[in-house]
Amino acid sequence: MAHKYKLIYFDRRGRGEVARLLFAAAGVEYEDFRFKKEEWPKYKGTTPFGQCPVLEVDGKPLTQSNAIVRHLAREFGLAGKTAWDQAQVDMILETMQDIANPISVICLCKDEEEKHALKATYEEETLPRYLEAVQKILAANKDGKGFLVGDEMTVADLSLFWTLDCIPVMVKNPTAKFPKLQEFRDRIAAVPNIAAWLEKLPKTADWDNSNVEHNP
Amino acid sequence: MAPKYKLVYYDSKGRGELARLLFAAAEVEYEDYRFKEEDWPKLKGDTPFGQVPVLEVDGKPLAQSNAIARYLAREFGLAGKTAWDQAQVDMIVETMQDMGNPVIPIWLCKNEEEKAKLTKTYAEETLPRYMEALQKILVANTEGKGFFVGDEMTLADLALFASFDWFEAGAKNPLEKFPKLQEFKDRIASCPKIAAWLEKRPKTEF
Repeated sequence: MAHKYKLIYFDRRGRGEVARLLFAAAGVEYEDFRFKKEEWPKYKGTTPFGQCPVLEVDGKPLTQSNAIVRHLAREFGLAGKTAWDQAQVDMILETMQDIANPISVICLCKDEEEKHALKATYEEETLPRYLEAVQKILAANKDGKGFLVGDEMTVADLSLFWTLDCIPVMVKNPTAKFPKLQEFRDRIAAVPNIAAWLEKLPKTADWDNSNVEHNP
Repeated sequence: MAPKYKLVYYDSKGRGELARLLFAAAEVEYEDYRFKEEDWPKLKGDTPFGQVPVLEVDGKPLAQSNAIARYLAREFGLAGKTAWDQAQVDMIVETMQDMGNPVIPIWLCKNEEEKAKLTKTYAEETLPRYMEALQKILVANTEGKGFFVGDEMTLADLALFASFDWFEAGAKNPLEKFPKLQEFKDRIASCPKIAAWLEKRPKTEF
């Protein structure tokens, strides 16, 4: 019997969106439960670590966005075909964290001078280094005309797709110098299941730094 | 034929130690390649993302410490017995990030007053909140006398074990109010294969 899935998260994309993209890509039904920021205190105590998103599978909770994402990816056959492919996919998921996390840190920084310095490092060194490396991985697989790992879409592709959308809140046009990544982004957006999701997804505020409020 | 493993990292525990603990727990041979800090610029360009650790498996590179840990755990049967167990293990490993990340700004903070404030928040709010939740999970599984997930040691147990040093760099005696976690730590340390590694591993500060 099919599992009953419920994803519990804020009414925004943030740390819930890759899970939603996985449900869309796999064509699997789920309850997309969204609450408003002010409702969070009501739910916080019911979660394993006082954080969300939480995925309930037949009523049993799983938390930590990346654990949720990897679990769904494996369930839906989107984790990579071999053990080694899964490891490469995983490596890319981790790297997406390295790209996205500094954005939160910079947004939360209270000292203007330090904030400015952190932003400059991110824009001039950190981000280009990662995007260069990711583009290299993409280009090495079917000349960059397909997916990041193997012959079919995996969660690595969905995670990169989402991360590329997160970056502009800190650095405008991140793919300006990385044409293969821009093509990649457009190619994923055009995949029918993904395009359908992008069309219907609730138009919430863009990814913002309030993801970090519940991670002191 | 068994794969040839080489772990490339600094001569320290840091983000390399979890992989080393996995090799120890599984009793699998590997080359524990440790380079000196001054050699890093030379090696950096050869790594997938300009970072370490890197695990070479028959010469092919895998980067990102947790991707390495999860790969080895799956190869060695230490990832959790069912899909759901694996997800629970994964959840705990991810939580180590949330618990450990605040230590970095504490270390880097140059202002003594700010540093004291950050340390206080970490030691009195952040870390205890997670420790409480973890202890609850442990106790719910065989009354806290065993492991975090299932009946056998998994990556979750080793990840927490490897992280205690890191937490202590930000907060003194984090386990003081969590006796079951202290017992857990002692229990893992005395598992023969782990104890043997703790005995023989190079003694480094971090």
